[in-house]
Amino acid sequence: MKLYLYGIIDSSSMIRESICGLEGSGVYNIPYCDIGTAVSEINQPIPGVSKRLVLEHEAVAEKLMEKFTVLPFRLLTILDGRENVLSMMDDYYGDFRDNLDGLRGKVEFGIKVIWPADKVKSCIINTCGTKNRNAHLLDDSAERRFVREKFEQHKIDRAFREKADGYINAMDVFLGKFATAKKLETLRTENLLLSAVYLVTKDNQDNFREAFEHVRTARKDFKYLVSGPWPPYHFVILRRNSQPRRNSGLTAMFDKVILQPTLVGADKTWQ
Amino acid sequence: MDNITVKSKDVTLLEVLDRVLDKGVIIAGDIVISVADVDLIYLGLKVLLSSVETMECLRGAPFPSPMQEAT
Amino acid sequence: MAMNSVVETDFPETFVEEMEKLQEALPRRIDANPKNVEKGLAKLVLTLVELVRKLLEKQAMRRIEAGSLSDEQIERVGETLMKLETKMHELKEVFGLKDEELNINLGPLGDLM
Repeated sequence: MKLYLYGIIDSSSMIRESICGLEGSGVYNIPYCDIGTAVSEINQPIPGVSKRLVLEHEAVAEKLMEKFTVLPFRLLTILDGRENVLSMMDDYYGDFRDNLDGLRGKVEFGIKVIWPADKVKSCIINTCGTKNRNAHLLDDSAERRFVREKFEQHKIDRAFREKADGYINAMDVFLGKFATAKKLETLRTENLLLSAVYLVTKDNQDNFREAFEHVRTARKDFKYLVSGPWPPYHFVILRRNSQPRRNSGLTAMFDKVILQPTLVGADKTWQ
Repeated sequence: MDNITVKSKDVTLLEVLDRVLDKGVIIAGDIVISVADVDLIYLGLKVLLSSVETMECLRGAPFPSPMQEAT
Repeated sequence: MAMNSVVETDFPETFVEEMEKLQEALPRRIDANPKNVEKGLAKLVLTLVELVRKLLEKQAMRRIEAGSLSDEQIERVGETLMKLETKMHELKEVFGLKDEELNINLGPLGDLM
């Protein structure tokens, strides 16, 4: 019996609300001590990651979030049988307990900011590009020209990143004020100045949104996105997983890397 | 697993994908590199990890920053 | 499939454009056939070479900035870096790989480059 996992919840009781999961199956709780795993039964193999799957999964996580503290699972976490779910909770109980306690009453907001990267670069080039302090590089050889150009680019790139950090820090003064935790990513692409997630207590949601409005109106040439409230996808930390397993590897080195559903059975050798 | 086509320009879908595809609880073992010699690759990855650490010391242009966590 | 979480922006298309670039970095599965296995291997090797090349360039820039290289050294470094860059272009073309593909996602550490 394949079970699709949506999240760990801080309850060992039945889920009273009727929540519809994949294939229209009901979501129910498999309890373990004072926690549980919200699952539904799947009968068909899941052929691929589709828009529908993604949205159905997320919809369940959000419904759970209304009533419980949820540690949301990654997409396509599938276990074979109730025993394996119980054994998984047994393995991770301490971690799950700590995370549930730490994340109770908190939600995640996503903030993304796009800036005009080209304009920023032009500005940098105009203010500091042409000055050539390295007189000894003015020689004409192709090699020296190459190095000089590389060097100019290096300086521009560095100034670019410094500018990015400056803007981000300024924004974070406001956004971070009502957050208990945050993760900030600078320049995931040239234009995507900031990609951030903030962990905010439910009581502070309005304050956070207000802070965002303040940031949004500060600069007319930047573009802003806010999303949420989400279950705390980015803030679950499992200490147990920080030790690499002997036969596991990290992702995406080859075309054939697969995000594989976990069909945990006999292999529980933790090294 | 098919590539997700987002030609429908659904920004909500992308925000969700940003979460459910590689965030959330991972019970280890669900990422598999399906090529031949696992041991070889693992060794190689250890080497890569130190290179990344070195790179983080070299911080500057033009590599993307890693996630910065603050408590 | 109602969702309570909202995604708010005045510029959905712009964000979609940028975010789709991020999705391209996601691992994909393709059919196993000999041609693709080669390409997978080439991608790994070239990614590592590219990493080393970029580190070399970086280090060279630092030393030039610090003024610790003689004219002759700068000349030689320039020549080497030029050749490396040209070689990488060629190799990428031979294997049909684009810049964005020469990257490795290291999970919690983010992307390699």
